[in-house]
Amino acid sequence: MIRIAPEPWAAMVAHARASYPNECCGAMLGSAGDGARNVQQAIALPNAFAGAQAARYELRPEDLLAADKAARDLQMDLLGIYHSHPDCDAYFSATDLANSCPWYSFVVLSIQNGEFHHANSFLPNFDQTEAPKEELIY
Amino acid sequence: MAKILIPTPLRQFTAKQDSVVVPGSTVGEVLAALTAEYPELRRQIFNPEGKLRSFVNVYLNDEDIRYIGKDAAPAADSDTLSLVPSIAGGTRH
Repeated sequence: MIRIAPEPWAAMVAHARASYPNECCGAMLGSAGDGARNVQQAIALPNAFAGAQAARYELRPEDLLAADKAARDLQMDLLGIYHSHPDCDAYFSATDLANSCPWYSFVVLSIQNGEFHHANSFLPNFDQTEAPKEELIY
Repeated sequence: MAKILIPTPLRQFTAKQDSVVVPGSTVGEVLAALTAEYPELRRQIFNPEGKLRSFVNVYLNDEDIRYIGKDAAPAADSDTLSLVPSIAGGTRH
C-alpha cells in the first residue's frame, strides 16, 4: 500500500496539470514501514525525453541520484516515481513496463482535458513482464 | 575500499544499513565484494548472466561508470558508489 499525504499529492496533481498536454515525472519521498509506503514529499523532475513528450517521459539518472540525496538529507527514503498520462487512463503501459524498476512504486496520474481524473499505483516485477496494482490512498 | 549507498528497497538485504563499505580497488571489485558480503543483492543488481540488469546504472560519485571505464574504473577509499535505476515510460507503445 502507498499512502500519499495531502501536500505532496497536491504538488503532484499541480505538476501533472501544469505539464499537460505533456507527460510529467517526479520522485516521491517519505518513509516505509508496516507494509505501507507513506509519501511526505514530492519532487518534480524534468521530463528528459528528447522527442514529443505528450506520450513519453524519461528520467535522467543524475536527477534521480539527486532526488535520492535529497531524501537522505531530509532523513527520508526514495519510495517511488510518479508520472502523468495526458488524455489517457492511468494504466501501466508496455513502455512503462519495459522501462521500469522493481525497487519502487510507480504512481500514474490520468489527466483528461487538463484536469486530474484518476490515479493508480503499480509494482513492476524484476523481469519487466508484469506490474500488479497496489492500493493507493491519497 | 569504497562506500556504496544502498537504495531504500534494497536495505532489507544489507541488515537495514543505508550504506556499506566494502573492499576493492576498482568498481568491479567493489561490486563483487558487495554481492559476496550480501548475496541476496546479487539478483537485484545482476542478471543470471552476471551483467548489470538493464535498469541499473552505477555512479562513482557523480559520474556514470559507463563513461569512466566501467568495471575497471578505479575506486578509492574516499569514493562513493550509487545504484541508480533507469526509468522511462509513456502511453505510446
